[in-house]
Amino acid sequence: MTALVRAEWTKLFTTRVWIGLLAGACVLVAGFVVLFTSFAGDTPGSAQGGPPGGLPPVGTEQFEQLVLAIGANVTVLFLILGIIGMTQEYRHRTATPTFLTTPRRGRVVVAKLTAYALVAVPFALVVVAVNYGVVAVAAGARGAVPELTGDNLRVLASSGLALVIYTVIGVGLGALVRNQVGAIVGGLVYLFVVEAIVRQISAIAGAYKWLPGGALEALTATLDGPDLLEPWQGGLLLLGYGLVAALLGTLLAVRRDVV
Amino acid sequence: MRVEVRGLSKSFGAVRAVDDLSFTVEPGSITGFLGPNGAGKTTTLRMALGLEQPDAGTATFDGVAYADLLSPVRTVGAVLETAFHPARSGRNHLRVYCRAAGLPVSRADEVLAQVGLADAGRRRAGGYSLGMRQRLALATALLGDPAVLVLDEPANGLDPEGIQWLRGFLRHLAHTEGRTVLVSSHLLAEMEQTADRVVIVGAGRLVREGSIAELRSGTQGSGAVLVRSPEAGRLAEVLRVAGLSVGPAEDGRVTVTGTTPATVGAHAFRAGVELHELRAETSGLEELYFRLTAGQEQFAASQGAAR
Repeated sequence: MTALVRAEWTKLFTTRVWIGLLAGACVLVAGFVVLFTSFAGDTPGSAQGGPPGGLPPVGTEQFEQLVLAIGANVTVLFLILGIIGMTQEYRHRTATPTFLTTPRRGRVVVAKLTAYALVAVPFALVVVAVNYGVVAVAAGARGAVPELTGDNLRVLASSGLALVIYTVIGVGLGALVRNQVGAIVGGLVYLFVVEAIVRQISAIAGAYKWLPGGALEALTATLDGPDLLEPWQGGLLLLGYGLVAALLGTLLAVRRDVV
Repeated sequence: MRVEVRGLSKSFGAVRAVDDLSFTVEPGSITGFLGPNGAGKTTTLRMALGLEQPDAGTATFDGVAYADLLSPVRTVGAVLETAFHPARSGRNHLRVYCRAAGLPVSRADEVLAQVGLADAGRRRAGGYSLGMRQRLALATALLGDPAVLVLDEPANGLDPEGIQWLRGFLRHLAHTEGRTVLVSSHLLAEMEQTADRVVIVGAGRLVREGSIAELRSGTQGSGAVLVRSPEAGRLAEVLRVAGLSVGPAEDGRVTVTGTTPATVGAHAFRAGVELHELRAETSGLEELYFRLTAGQEQFAASQGAAR
């Protein structure tokens, strides 16, 4: 199994997809941190009795937790990393040599889950470090560098964890769908259309907290939102979604003929 | 290592792509797996390698199914479609499978040299020519130094020089190194020059199995012979008297069926007829192949539609 995991890393690092996704994630995070910090405190946030959407001022606890959680917003790029890791085997037909080398296909899926979960850890650390670094510079310029203690540290850790778990979900989704474009489009539509709608309809909004988006929000949200699970429950639920997708994918899709 | 295919069957919808197919591939020889496009060759090979699930039947390597082999890469090397990530170099492509199979990554450079791709190894595989892709696929198959090699239409995309090279390479692997080589093709001429034995399939069924020599002797004299002579009319008369089946003499040409150039030449020599050309128009084997697989293109087309 170690050999298979290393093979997956060789696959990942011998093409440039990871550079683009990681750089993209860092640029997005840095950009949003600068944007948030620039407009912080211009209108008081809802926590200060202002209209929703307003940003709390620099130096407040709410502001710090909000900007330090921005890393969790690029989970979608880590989802795509996982999806590409699985589906490129079908896209470029390398599933043939891969399954010839490892005829027990479930082992390939387990190796990919392991390899991508492990590789997502340093990637997530980079994103979280960029997040904190840019906050330190931008908020520092406005007079208050957030401390790396207590709740701030917890916020950073949970958004890093969310990034890792979404990578695992991506591998699972890729195993289930096999088609790269289909998996990516399906994942995006689900996250940004289906869940957004479910969240809005009060009759079924209770189900939202059990969905991947609700679980992510439970894990990483810092502002008050709808009824959600505890953060650790949200994290476990997310991981469960990833593993169930991978299991179903292995049973239903990966075992199918490679033609 | 002996490859045994027993009762292999697979349908795609209403089309029976492979129908109760059985044959054996012996070590130390090159076995040609011959049939028109759509005869079920690729499906058979992919089922034998565990990539597709057969509806019925088995394929084994010394009695063991591919998926149950302890070390598949060290046992069987397969050249199927040329599959690689276009952005990855040929060398890195090979290293991936070295890692996965627990082979030292230095094997990548060894097999690149073996197939004559050492200079291109560090270039992106997406920029390779068709011939180079075939060589990279062959290199991938050789990584584990396997006892059995299975190749699906490996000559596709190779230039004449490449085909010549491949022929010599396969002969070396089978005859000198004693490996079992199974190579599919839709071209009889290619197989006549490469294979020791052939397994001919049509419409997913076995139509003939045997050595090239056996098939030739079984079809001796069934070919057509073309003769040119300034005395074509007299030659036709001589051959007719000798009991051969002779077509009409036109433009100084006579076509004789059901015989060999040697027989026609002997009659002409005895009668003192001057010859300008004497050749087999179609080999007996070629005619046999066409006859055995006649009507298969229709099947191939319907199978293509079904997939």
